[in-house]
Amino acid sequence: MRGNWLNLLKPLGVTLLILVIFEVLSTALFPMMGLIKYRLPFNVLIILYIGFKLENPFVAILIFILQYTHSFFSIEGWEMGTIAGVLIYVVISYLKDLLHLSSSIMTIFVTQMFQFLWFLIVSTILYIKTDELSYIIEKFWRFLPESIVISLLAPVLFAVLDVIWQSEQQSALGDSV
Amino acid sequence: MRLVEDRDRRKRIVINIFVLLVAFICVAKRSSTLHQTSTFENLLIDSFAPLQNSVSTIRTNVANFFTHYVANISASKENREILKQVSDLESRIFDLNELEKENLRLKNLLEFGKGVGYKKVLAQVVAWDASSDFRVLRINKGLKDGVMLQAPVVTSVGLVGYIYRLTDHFADILTVLDNNNRVDGLIQRVRAHGIVEGYSSEKSLMKYVSRTEPIILGDVVITSGLGNIYPKGIRVGGVSKIERESYGITQYVEITPAVDFGLLEEVVILLAEGDEQKRREWEALDQMEESDDASAKLKRSKR
Repeated sequence: MRGNWLNLLKPLGVTLLILVIFEVLSTALFPMMGLIKYRLPFNVLIILYIGFKLENPFVAILIFILQYTHSFFSIEGWEMGTIAGVLIYVVISYLKDLLHLSSSIMTIFVTQMFQFLWFLIVSTILYIKTDELSYIIEKFWRFLPESIVISLLAPVLFAVLDVIWQSEQQSALGDSV
Repeated sequence: MRLVEDRDRRKRIVINIFVLLVAFICVAKRSSTLHQTSTFENLLIDSFAPLQNSVSTIRTNVANFFTHYVANISASKENREILKQVSDLESRIFDLNELEKENLRLKNLLEFGKGVGYKKVLAQVVAWDASSDFRVLRINKGLKDGVMLQAPVVTSVGLVGYIYRLTDHFADILTVLDNNNRVDGLIQRVRAHGIVEGYSSEKSLMKYVSRTEPIILGDVVITSGLGNIYPKGIRVGGVSKIERESYGITQYVEITPAVDFGLLEEVVILLAEGDEQKRREWEALDQMEESDDASAKLKRSKR
């Protein structure tokens, strides 16, 4: 999706609305139903989609806006997610010819791989900040089920986001299927 | 065409580097123990938090609906009227029981710490943090209700945490389960000191406890009052695991918090009477600093 900054405003608004709905459900509904240990990181999924599908110089700013919205629901803040998101976006831009989200299985697999990369980047920053490995190991065991659920949801959410961002004609990573 | 692509590419690189730089600077400067919200953040959190509040209310109402009405759908035609009456009465009894339990909980909460010179603000838990990395609760009381940053939060059974982030109508509590929360604790029986730190979704660790301290399973851990956040004597939890090696200077002590965070509905925020005065003193100091800076700038400009 090429275009200027103004063309991004409408889909960005709808995406932010979806993110807010998911965050509200994730923080208010699921914990009240007893799901306290795990929380689904919908922000990661949406940012991965932006990285995979959008061809725009302003992607880094979009990632920042999504993470900033996420920070209203978490004390995590926007910084670490923005760093991870932008770095992953750079990696994706180099791997575009190798990766194709042409089927649900591929989407699930690729999303899982990049979630591992996200975990690696965030854990490295956390380790530099806290100098504590046990916390990261504990985080990893929570990350596994959370990331698997998010990967399984990826084909559905990506299809919805394709409609919002009108990027279905580009499919996978910019190529026509 | 190629020129446009090159321009786009250059723009992308510049934006990427700029965003990364800002994020790296902010992550380095970010405090894990306290967060002062800006007016914009304040406004947005106050706008989103009522959504979280209403979702939990809707969930409770829907659950009640299904419990009391859907179960009766399969009832026979003849008994429908009677069942409806029974259901209505059961619903009423359920509501009354809930009210009674709530009253009891609130009474216990308000009676807690009667002797301590603290003003108490009762709050309801409306949401949890969006990331499972943090054990943070959102409550429906904020600055407008007199809540202050770093105010301790408790229930009738023990310590919950302290106020980390605050807006006009909502506040985030950094619980004792969170890795960033450190409480100066005391083993009640042997008076051994240590730092209680969040570890997992159910456990905390008590660090820096000397290996020679004769701690046993079930020992009660209380706050020591050091650190200027928590008052002394609040129950933190009980010792649930001890690992003592023949070497080293400390022992591994695992604590199970007294509060069951999975069942937490209401909490009490303790506000020290002196906090208002302390806040005014800080404000006065800030103002003094600002006026000093302004006069220094003026002197420089005159030169």
